[in-house]
Amino acid sequence: MRAAFSRELANAAARDERVLLLTGDHGYALFDEFRKACPGQYINAGVAEQNMVGVAAGLAKAGFRPVVYGLSAFVPVRVLEQIKIDVCYEQLPVTFIGDGAGLVYSTLGASHQSFEDIACLRPIPHIDILSPGDAGEMAAAMNFALGHDAPVYLRMGKADLGNVHRQPPVLRRGELLQLRRGRHAVGLVATGSMLKTALAIADEIDASVWSAPWIKPLDEQALAAAVGRCKALVSLEEHSVAAGLGSALLEALSLTHPLPLLRIGIGQRFSSTCGSHAHALREHGLDLASVRERVLPFAARWSAA
Amino acid sequence: MSEVAFEPAALRRTVVEMAYAGSSVHLGCAFSIVELLACLYGRHMRYHRTDPRDPGRDYLVLSKGHGVMAQYACTLALGWIEQSDVDNYFKDGSRLKGLSDSHVPGCEVTSGTLGHGLSVGVGLALAAQRRGTGQRCYAIVGDGELDEGAIWEAVMFAAHARLDNLMVIVDANGFQAMGRTDDIMALGDIAARFTAFGFDAATVDGHDMAAISAAIDQLQSRADGKPKALVANTVKGKGVSYMENDNAWHYLRLTPPLYEQALAELGGRP
Repeated sequence: MRAAFSRELANAAARDERVLLLTGDHGYALFDEFRKACPGQYINAGVAEQNMVGVAAGLAKAGFRPVVYGLSAFVPVRVLEQIKIDVCYEQLPVTFIGDGAGLVYSTLGASHQSFEDIACLRPIPHIDILSPGDAGEMAAAMNFALGHDAPVYLRMGKADLGNVHRQPPVLRRGELLQLRRGRHAVGLVATGSMLKTALAIADEIDASVWSAPWIKPLDEQALAAAVGRCKALVSLEEHSVAAGLGSALLEALSLTHPLPLLRIGIGQRFSSTCGSHAHALREHGLDLASVRERVLPFAARWSAA
Repeated sequence: MSEVAFEPAALRRTVVEMAYAGSSVHLGCAFSIVELLACLYGRHMRYHRTDPRDPGRDYLVLSKGHGVMAQYACTLALGWIEQSDVDNYFKDGSRLKGLSDSHVPGCEVTSGTLGHGLSVGVGLALAAQRRGTGQRCYAIVGDGELDEGAIWEAVMFAAHARLDNLMVIVDANGFQAMGRTDDIMALGDIAARFTAFGFDAATVDGHDMAAISAAIDQLQSRADGKPKALVANTVKGKGVSYMENDNAWHYLRLTPPLYEQALAELGGRP
């Protein structure tokens, strides 16, 4: 997925000299190709994220299309005010990449683990939030972001779990992508790294699965139409259950098509131990076995239908 | 640059009129930068006389957004905002805010939350440098604003990127919201700090327009790749006797008698 990001970015920069990459001294090796192809369009702004976002705003005001790269623990969290005031208030075309989202940096601890990035951006007007789930969704998301005349946040999990789409997916702004059609009354909506888990459980109970590459905006009508035949939903995300995908779905459906929804995600706790990404997922109940234990009884309540 | 007269007393009268109309605060913050703005608009900046958004303009970034009434006085003189904007300041549904706002013609940045505007100005200067347009960016920051870490991030970036088309103008009025900068976060020799960060810096009496202009010209004549810093020693509340160096005028509102006195001291009604 990171390779798809890197490739799309290099292609866009080669096509369009207005595309500039700004990094806060992050992205080791990720931008080698980009720096080789477009050295003049690469700006390492140093370990100074606040200034980096302000500079991106100034560049965008003057007609450039900056792509601001950081870890999702820092961009957007550390620079939320700059994103709000300098970029979103003017609807400037700046794309923010939050890499290593979720528990990816399991061994680095609380500073680098990031499950609040979606939540803190959702109330800010004019910014789209995308959370691609595989390389195909990433390529499509990058294409959207670089052609969109307003701010975009693109959430990138570093752990590459392989593709879920056989064909390059076509993304429509604000809509879910159906990955699996099932007969169960409970449908699963997952984003980013949780797609594979959702698919594994859906295979077991024959449920429908949707990917949510878009967290914001969500098209309420399209959403109701997509999940309208379900009696209940499960949302799965490597993000806090507070103000993440699950919350966004509940809010979007609340008037048009209210449904019971089980939110699978990170609760009100930090990681307490160190270990692999798989270990961190287990600790937070996001590994397949833990998710299964919660989803199956919930699904059983609706299976009579 | 312009046939418009930017006469400091007249600009201050506009500020008094609008502050009284809107019962607004931050008079002291506006009065300290009047001569700086008059110099920039009257003598140094290139801009389109009737189009504040002209793509070839020099940029004036009011990072210390609290002084925005002084900028409104200038943009009123240019006709970029209307007399009715001044008369209806802070009325329901009006468009001029109490802090710099990029949706208002002539205002480049949205500020007031401090330490933002300079970085945006650095981005604008960088864009001009990359394209070789010759555009300059002037960014006015407050001395209190220098407390913000983001200012020094921007300063380091500007020096590294050799943005000699950027001029940071420090409104050194010696006060911030709650008191003297010396008592809250002492800055020492501000010009020396900028010099240490790789800028060409000069210090000037921020109410002496001839001296301000000469210092700007002198700094800009140095084609050494360094960004410029002009430290303007100013008086908070300058121009109205009871406001000068009384930091209460960061927050106080004009009463009818004080309004009349201020206008009288500034040469009478407009």
